[in-house]
Amino acid sequence: MKSVWWRQLKAVMRLELKKTFFARRGLWIYLVALLPVLLFMAYATAVSRVQGRMADVARHGQKPLTYQDLLAVKQGMTNEEVIASVGKPASTVRWKVARTTGADASEDGVHERYNYSDGQQELYVEFVDGRAETVIVRDGNNLQRDSVMFAGVFQFFFLRLAIFFGCLGVFMNLFRGEILDRSLHFYFLAPIRREVLMAGKFLAGLIATSTIFVASEVLQTTAFLWAFHPNVRNLYLYHNHGLEHAAAYVGITVLACIGYGAFFLIAGMFFRNPIVPTAVILIWEGINPFLPAVLKQVSVIYYLKSLCPVDVPVPPGMPPLLALLISNPEPISEPVAVFGLLTVALVALYVSSLQVRRMEINYTTE
Amino acid sequence: MKDRIVFENVSKFYDEILGVNHLNLSIPPGITSLVGPNGSGKTTLMNLMTGLVKPSRGQIYVLGCRTDDPENLFKMVGYSTQFDAFPKGLTGFQFLYSYLQLSGRDSHTAEQLAWRAIERVNLRNDAGRNIAGYSKGMRQRIRLAQALAHDPKVLVLDEPLNGLDPLARSESIALFRAAAELGCYVIISSHILHEVDVISDQVILLSNGYVVAEGQIQTVRSEIQEHPTQILIRCTRPRELAAKVIESELASEIAIHNDGRGLLLKTRNSDNFYLALNELALNGIEIESVTPADDDVFSVYEYLIGNEEVVR
Repeated sequence: MKSVWWRQLKAVMRLELKKTFFARRGLWIYLVALLPVLLFMAYATAVSRVQGRMADVARHGQKPLTYQDLLAVKQGMTNEEVIASVGKPASTVRWKVARTTGADASEDGVHERYNYSDGQQELYVEFVDGRAETVIVRDGNNLQRDSVMFAGVFQFFFLRLAIFFGCLGVFMNLFRGEILDRSLHFYFLAPIRREVLMAGKFLAGLIATSTIFVASEVLQTTAFLWAFHPNVRNLYLYHNHGLEHAAAYVGITVLACIGYGAFFLIAGMFFRNPIVPTAVILIWEGINPFLPAVLKQVSVIYYLKSLCPVDVPVPPGMPPLLALLISNPEPISEPVAVFGLLTVALVALYVSSLQVRRMEINYTTE
Repeated sequence: MKDRIVFENVSKFYDEILGVNHLNLSIPPGITSLVGPNGSGKTTLMNLMTGLVKPSRGQIYVLGCRTDDPENLFKMVGYSTQFDAFPKGLTGFQFLYSYLQLSGRDSHTAEQLAWRAIERVNLRNDAGRNIAGYSKGMRQRIRLAQALAHDPKVLVLDEPLNGLDPLARSESIALFRAAAELGCYVIISSHILHEVDVISDQVILLSNGYVVAEGQIQTVRSEIQEHPTQILIRCTRPRELAAKVIESELASEIAIHNDGRGLLLKTRNSDNFYLALNELALNGIEIESVTPADDDVFSVYEYLIGNEEVVR
């Protein structure tokens, strides 16, 4: 019997995977998954340009500089003192500005800007009449620091929107789409347990969404790390938990697909109009931080937030209610989070299995 | 119960709308036709029989199997529905192959059974084409192939002859007959009464969700008392015979046939009439044939339901 179920499960999955991956109406899911990849590709391009420029400035300077050399330049120093300290700059910009006040208002003021870099940071010194008036040391891209930005995009766009809506598009249509196409009877006419059919559809949806969003996640990570020097990358990946974080993001992506998939599968069976359950689940997930402890547990984001490897800091001055949306004041341990999410998903699948047994083919009422 | 399709006091309501009501049926092997106008409950009855809809009341057993157990039910049942939609992107072969794999067949068996079913409905040349490009008749045939593919004991066919050309119709009817002769239960719904008449072993007449009559058509006809039986007698000297029949007061109406070689009469007591006929036909009147003229499905349908929405 089990071998028959297994064959049936595979048959359902084959049909559903083909439908999910190649359906025209699912194209937008690829676009949603691609958006953060494009974002990080743009980021990589920007990082690459900044780093190229700094390398150029450092290369064309009179002498190789360290970060300490850059910090040694202070406001009020003269051109000569600056050049004595950090050498002739790689590039100089000079311009005159008409003075409108003071005793020498008839003469133009002479402005100069020197640009230095140690390859990682940039120093801008602006002189007015030969004296440093503005000194700015600007950091280049810092992988450790930018990983917080990556975490922010993951938590607030990828997890809560891209995967959420992607799962909506795939799982909600597993049954609802076929009812609308009037082709669900094809499955219901086969000697297959409805639970096996549901499991096959769910697994196909899970494989499809996991493949799409894990691929997106891997591409995002690749694009994020792309522009950095290999030494910086290796340091981040192998010594600063970068690899662990990447693996955690992949795991969270799969868990998100399981959790949201189970919710949308059940929603697709109970609701004719996808807008209603989508709005309800989106709001439910959104207000999760404000819910009582028991209700919090009936959600996906509650568990996923605790699994995220990098905390996104609350921006200073943010109202406490909004800050609650970002922070996770009561994180739960990783095993509890994984177990909790899988339990919630299993309960949702159990309810779906009861519902699928009751389903009837009555296309005219749809 | 194990050798019948049984409906026990079955009703089905779609919210407030009646599908079928108080059905009590016991369907034996052979070809059983469901006859009735649109909305009479034929498709609902078939969907109930195959578990696609659940009864609001009552129980249904198909050869002892409950209809809420699709895993076992569809091992015995093949259903060719009226739903004209298929999973997207599949060829005729893939459609059957996938269905058989869903049924738990391994790929080799599924392939063999799929080709055999394709052969049975004469679609070999088009099996590799996408179903979306099929004509209505071809879609009808591939649905029939799906119903037949796993050699079911019970074949449920909703308007299976719709859209078929005359050759395909006769081939399909032969297929149904062959299945019935092998002991299958073939349940057919059709609007085309002369075909129902030709192929059916028994009929179930439905009207407004109720079973109006069921059984062999002659039995059903004999139970309709308010309409006298019509008998066509082919004979020599029909006028003479007509006069004798009038004298005997066994017929309520008599008419000479248009070709002048027989007479059509109506009687409320056909058994007595048949007994008396030998005496009436003495004196050189030669009787070639005596046939009931209204014990076909159409007449029964007309008497019980009325003359609407059917094709003779």
